[in-house]
Amino acid sequence: MLTPAHLTLIQWLSPAFPTGAFAYSHGLEHEIATGIVHDAASLESWLTNILRFGAGWQDAVLLAHALRDDREALDDLARALSPCAERLQEGLEQGAALARAVACITGRTLPPRMLPVALGEAATALDLPEGDVIALYLQGFAGNLVTIAIRHVPLGQTEGQAVLHHLAPLIHCLANRAAMAPLGALGTCALAGDLAALCHETQEVRIFRT
Amino acid sequence: MIARTAPPSTHQRSQGAAHVTLLPGPNGGRLDRRHQAGSAKAFVHPGQPGPEIVLLNTSGGLTGGDRLSYRIDLAPGCRATGTTQTAERAYRSATGAAEVTVHHAVGAGGHLDWLPQETILFEGSHLARETGIDLAADASCLLLEAVVLGRAAMGETLARVTLKDTRRIHRAGRPVLVEPLHLGSAALTAGPAILNGARAFATLALVSRGSEDAIGPVRAALDEPGVSGGASGFDGKLVIRLMAADGWPLRRQIMRLLHILRPGPLPRVWQIQERRQ
Repeated sequence: MLTPAHLTLIQWLSPAFPTGAFAYSHGLEHEIATGIVHDAASLESWLTNILRFGAGWQDAVLLAHALRDDREALDDLARALSPCAERLQEGLEQGAALARAVACITGRTLPPRMLPVALGEAATALDLPEGDVIALYLQGFAGNLVTIAIRHVPLGQTEGQAVLHHLAPLIHCLANRAAMAPLGALGTCALAGDLAALCHETQEVRIFRT
Repeated sequence: MIARTAPPSTHQRSQGAAHVTLLPGPNGGRLDRRHQAGSAKAFVHPGQPGPEIVLLNTSGGLTGGDRLSYRIDLAPGCRATGTTQTAERAYRSATGAAEVTVHHAVGAGGHLDWLPQETILFEGSHLARETGIDLAADASCLLLEAVVLGRAAMGETLARVTLKDTRRIHRAGRPVLVEPLHLGSAALTAGPAILNGARAFATLALVSRGSEDAIGPVRAALDEPGVSGGASGFDGKLVIRLMAADGWPLRRQIMRLLHILRPGPLPRVWQIQERRQ
């Protein structure tokens, strides 16, 4: 049975929560503009890469550690891991907004931090299994990018949601692995995905901040 | 580059360590201490700007069980360039990882250009490399890491490789740039957000106050045919990422960027390669 703590976390990670996720495309806007992501199959493949070998996995490991370890040091690490200005902005602005909203609602003091670290710090009080927190975070991350793709590729609503549905087993598996992963395991190799985020900075027509 | 076949699996495990320390002196600094052991050698030549420290692995390549370590210490105020004599080759590994540790320290007001030549990964290679540069509060550095997957000219496409290549730059003990590249066999063909057909890739990072100012000239130079690149200036650093179909266009793009990112001519070992093209 879901607990009230689960319901609270689902609220924090819902698109309606004032974190502003809708403004950040994680480089997807550039991938759509260059035709790398052009239909449901290419979106699924790109998202699978990002989740398994990119920021999905990296954020999952950072979040797992932020649920229990020194957040100051993790925040420094999360900043240093950002491959470009817009990725840093994406993490900082969403993290600050999440911390601010949770602090206002709960009366707790939560400093602005990079998003996965801010969420870990906020969610510690919920005392949920780490794998649950990480899975819901990754689901929110992927769900936001699917929503962006539905509007801008464009894809049919159902077609886009089917992509997210297909990612559920991967998200579940990554969450369970990340929950037990040491910090040394947070390596990535989403080189083309990172490059898209760098190139987005000079993209002429842009709707999204990243 | 000279093509060579991978050595047999009976390859003798090699160990090497080279450590160079520079003290303040004219033209960037003077050699204080040079320690070399096993397969690692170090040479120090006068250069512009500052001495060129050339490191060399005489074992001819890396395979499972090999241990190699390079270290450069720059005292306060020194300016130097560290590089490697040749491209480093990681061969098929039957017995775990080849472990490479690169650890440099730059004292107050100093600057290090760490510009090793590219690392070429062969089928079945397993390389674990940790590169760390510790900067004093107002020190700076330029870091290059370039990786080539097999030899495109020989039609090689890698199917099995393990690379754990972590680059860390700390300033006064706090991380300013961390790039933990973990590339395994499953990722090689995983799709559009990983290699997307590239066989060679590189990171160049200038970590220095005001380095963001170079973003204009750097972006203008990112037009080498056969190379995709992007640059971003933020948080006291300028980061450039490059991807290419092969090592040669990547190298040409890197050499053009080095002319923008550092004063003076290219390090001698890079010039030799430039003429060979």
